[in-house]
Amino acid sequence: MSNEQMNPMIEKILVNIEKVMIGKRDVAELSLVALLAGGHVLLEDVPGVGKTMMVRALAKSVNANFRRIQFTPDLLPSDVTGVSIYNPKEMEFQFRPGPLMGNIILADEINRTSPKTQSALLEGMEEASVTIDGVTHRLNKPFFVMATQNPIEYEGTYPLPEAQLDRFLLKMKMGYPDLHEEMEVLNRAQKIPPIEDLCPVIDLEGLLTLQSEIKDVFVDDTIKRYIVDIVNRTRGHGSVYLGASPRGSIALMKAAQAYAYMFGRDYVLPDDIQYLAKFVLSHRIILKSEAKFEGISAEELVNQVVARVPVPIKRLVR
Amino acid sequence: MMKRDYPSFLLYTFGFLLLWEWLRPVEQLTETDHIETFIFFLILAFALSFLQLKWIWQYSLKFIYILYSINRIHFEEGFFQVSWFKEFFADLIDNIGVIAARNWNDLSNEFRTLLFFILLWLMVYLIHYWLINRKQIFIFYFMTLIYITVLDTFTPYSAKAAIVRTVVAGFAVMGMLTFYRIIQREKVNTEPTFLRRWMVPLAGMIAFSVIVGIAAPKAAPIWPDPVPYLTANNDKVPELDARDVHRIGYGTNDSALGGPFIGDKNPVFKYEANGKSYWKMETKDVYTGKGWLTSGTTPISFRQEDLVPVYSLPKNVETIKESARVLTHVNYNYNYFMYPAGINKVLKTEPLDSEGNDFQVDTTNERISFYNHEKAPIVPRVFTVEYEIPKYKAKDLVQTTRYDPTSINAKFYEKYTRLPEELPPRVKELAEQITASKTNWFDKAKAVEGYFGKSEYTYDQKNVAVPDTNEDYVDQFLFDTKRGYCDNFSSSMAVMLRTLGIPTRWVKGFTGGDFLQYSDETSGVQVYEVTNNNAHSWVEAFFPNQGWVPFEPTKGFSNEITINYETTGNSSNNQQTSTPPVKKPKQEELDNTKAPNDSNPFFDMKRIWADTKLFLKNNWQRMILLLLLFAGVAAIFYRVRGKWIPYFLLVVYRFKKKDDNLGAAYVALLQQFDRYGLKRKENQTLRSYARYIDSFFSTSEMTRLTVIYENYLYHQTLPKGTWEESHELWENLIKKTIA
Repeated sequence: MSNEQMNPMIEKILVNIEKVMIGKRDVAELSLVALLAGGHVLLEDVPGVGKTMMVRALAKSVNANFRRIQFTPDLLPSDVTGVSIYNPKEMEFQFRPGPLMGNIILADEINRTSPKTQSALLEGMEEASVTIDGVTHRLNKPFFVMATQNPIEYEGTYPLPEAQLDRFLLKMKMGYPDLHEEMEVLNRAQKIPPIEDLCPVIDLEGLLTLQSEIKDVFVDDTIKRYIVDIVNRTRGHGSVYLGASPRGSIALMKAAQAYAYMFGRDYVLPDDIQYLAKFVLSHRIILKSEAKFEGISAEELVNQVVARVPVPIKRLVR
Repeated sequence: MMKRDYPSFLLYTFGFLLLWEWLRPVEQLTETDHIETFIFFLILAFALSFLQLKWIWQYSLKFIYILYSINRIHFEEGFFQVSWFKEFFADLIDNIGVIAARNWNDLSNEFRTLLFFILLWLMVYLIHYWLINRKQIFIFYFMTLIYITVLDTFTPYSAKAAIVRTVVAGFAVMGMLTFYRIIQREKVNTEPTFLRRWMVPLAGMIAFSVIVGIAAPKAAPIWPDPVPYLTANNDKVPELDARDVHRIGYGTNDSALGGPFIGDKNPVFKYEANGKSYWKMETKDVYTGKGWLTSGTTPISFRQEDLVPVYSLPKNVETIKESARVLTHVNYNYNYFMYPAGINKVLKTEPLDSEGNDFQVDTTNERISFYNHEKAPIVPRVFTVEYEIPKYKAKDLVQTTRYDPTSINAKFYEKYTRLPEELPPRVKELAEQITASKTNWFDKAKAVEGYFGKSEYTYDQKNVAVPDTNEDYVDQFLFDTKRGYCDNFSSSMAVMLRTLGIPTRWVKGFTGGDFLQYSDETSGVQVYEVTNNNAHSWVEAFFPNQGWVPFEPTKGFSNEITINYETTGNSSNNQQTSTPPVKKPKQEELDNTKAPNDSNPFFDMKRIWADTKLFLKNNWQRMILLLLLFAGVAAIFYRVRGKWIPYFLLVVYRFKKKDDNLGAAYVALLQQFDRYGLKRKENQTLRSYARYIDSFFSTSEMTRLTVIYENYLYHQTLPKGTWEESHELWENLIKKTIA
């Protein structure tokens, strides 16, 4: 895909992010895909690989209001959404917005907090609004959550239920930088963190325009058919306990539209689907325990499925 | 749930065909009439099931049909009269009582019909369930096969065609169901073309295996036919061990001759003719030392009223035309015609099959068989034979003195003079001794024939030996036992003549039988009766200018052949003609013979059909050869298609101007690359494949073309002039595969 001409605006954002993030272009791309498609991202990786840096760079680049929530077991829903406080001077309750009222939110270690607080966040993600004391507050637009979870620790965690995992458009891993990248990281660490110097390259208005343009990216019936074939196959696979839902199909299509747009195309290719399927579908599938014991991961399984579905190379016969 | 589409229609059709196979034997083997009513009921039930009418409609339609059929079959009143229904209802109640009392035999026919309908209804439902819901039919199919084969083995029902039909329908339906099961299990969405891609190889494989199955030689059963054991208590004695006492009569197995006989006065057939004659059934040409075999089979089909393509008399032999009407006895149960030597035609055969009969003659053993249109053997009950009685001239007969390769085909001569190597030399010595003073073949044959008239040879049916394993049948009779019946005499003469180099064959059939009466007062046509006691065997020797001449060596028998001993010469002083020894019947000849009395040959469909069948039957080997040849050529073309298809494509697409062609052209290009060896994996996108192609040919043309195609395929945009633009790219790529 690299030989394609990127959308210049998006190229600018990515270059900006790369000023602080070394390597990890793919993660940056995928995060942008989610942001542009109006979805959210679940980052699953160990601490210290630059998750926060990535989100902050992204937020800075689009000039968005960045908030960070560190999830802990004692965090309450009101700590996330905001709370009404009695103002003795004005003799009335005043709403103090919580961190959810930003544009780009980093929900760190989301699996560390209680389900109650998790669901407050997830409701906000789904409905784009929160209800506090009977008053519904619209969330800002654009609204983008990047949640992280640590796959290593299980003690004292509350794993997200499948229904809630479904709310994330993409799930991905950060991964360690390679040798040269890590050396470069060390070089930069000797200086002041450059994140402070990062300038925005697009404003929120521009971002919203991009988001609305993505909806016009053409998806041919052959491609829709291809998406459905892939999703369908996950349902029938022998190692799968529960396959991806139709929401998964929608997510795959939307992500593909954003991805195609990012590369300056106004139509989706099977290549987009193939590339994105792993990130869109893997967290929407529940494997059978046998498969887990055999060491098959959901990502591998999605790759298997994609490898088995023939790519459409002819127009559909009507 | 399946839809009302073409595939499910096929499934129902095959289901119907399988169920039909269950009904076919019922018609033949039981006294069930009106079978078409039941078949139509099956069609109706399957059709309703296929159309997925509401159950209320389905039930009422079927119910009305059942009532109507019962009314039509069993009641004389009209359907709309109440009286019959009352009667039927009362009958129903009665029968339920009978069932409760378990008096199964008292059930009325009406009730049985009703039950049969219900059974069929159930079966249709079951098949529908198996096909559509379970998508499994194996058990039913297996049961059908068992049913057919068991009936074929133990009853007169011939499943020759049924087994083919069942295999075709069964495998087709199982193949389709497998497809649907895989689809269901894998949860893939399918295009209509998908099924086609499955069906074409399926149909091909079925057709191929059926053709191979039909064409392949089939081994005879390795176990004895169980039916004769089951019916062993009647007169039809199976041919068992030769050492047992035989009942006299015509049989087909002569591989181990000898042993005593008991007489059997049961009649075989009667005939009306102007005189007595011997009746041939078949001839045999291979002497084994223990008995006679046939060297092979060369069946040829012919039509009634055609000339029977067996050996006919040479033109120079004078003949008298005769005809005889034969009525076979009910106990006669071979499907062979008996005929006098010199047969021309078989006429007025009964019972005739309305769909056409098959007459076959095996030119090797001259056995004429009778079949119905399904190739099942039929016993002829009445028929007329036209034949010619030869009038030989002694001076023609004595002309042959030695074997002359110009007048007798060498192969033919070798076949009819062949003897087993173990034949003791004293047989030849005796033959030479008997014929020492004779110079020509005819006199030699007469001498040998007469030799058995000596008093030391006795005709006997009881004290007849069977040769031991190291003994020769003829040698034993000639020198040791000197006692025997027709088989001994005829075999001995045939073998002795062969030792002298005279071609002979062994003939089986019946003697002329006993005079019974005149058929009517005036005509003088005589009626003869032939019994099993008249079963007989004799010898025919071949003379190049006279054909096969019969001889009768058996003591006490005589076969009246007319030989004119006048010596005053006339025109018959012809040399040994170089006629081919055996008339090879050809399709053309058969056609010529029937042409004159055919008034409008173009509109006679039956005749055309019969001609076609005949043609197929006589030429099928050649046609298969041709077919194989074609298939071979096609296969070669297919194998090297990578070489010629690109040129073809280049030419075809050069003249296409529309932008739409991009789609077809690109797909053709993909296929060409595939043939070239650059395979695209199914899950490989066009883009990555294009990169692969480009890196292979170190170009960028494929990627450029692919971008255009992607736009066409995934974006549905086709700017004007696209094809013109991309045509060069496309041509370059195609040309790369040629180089």
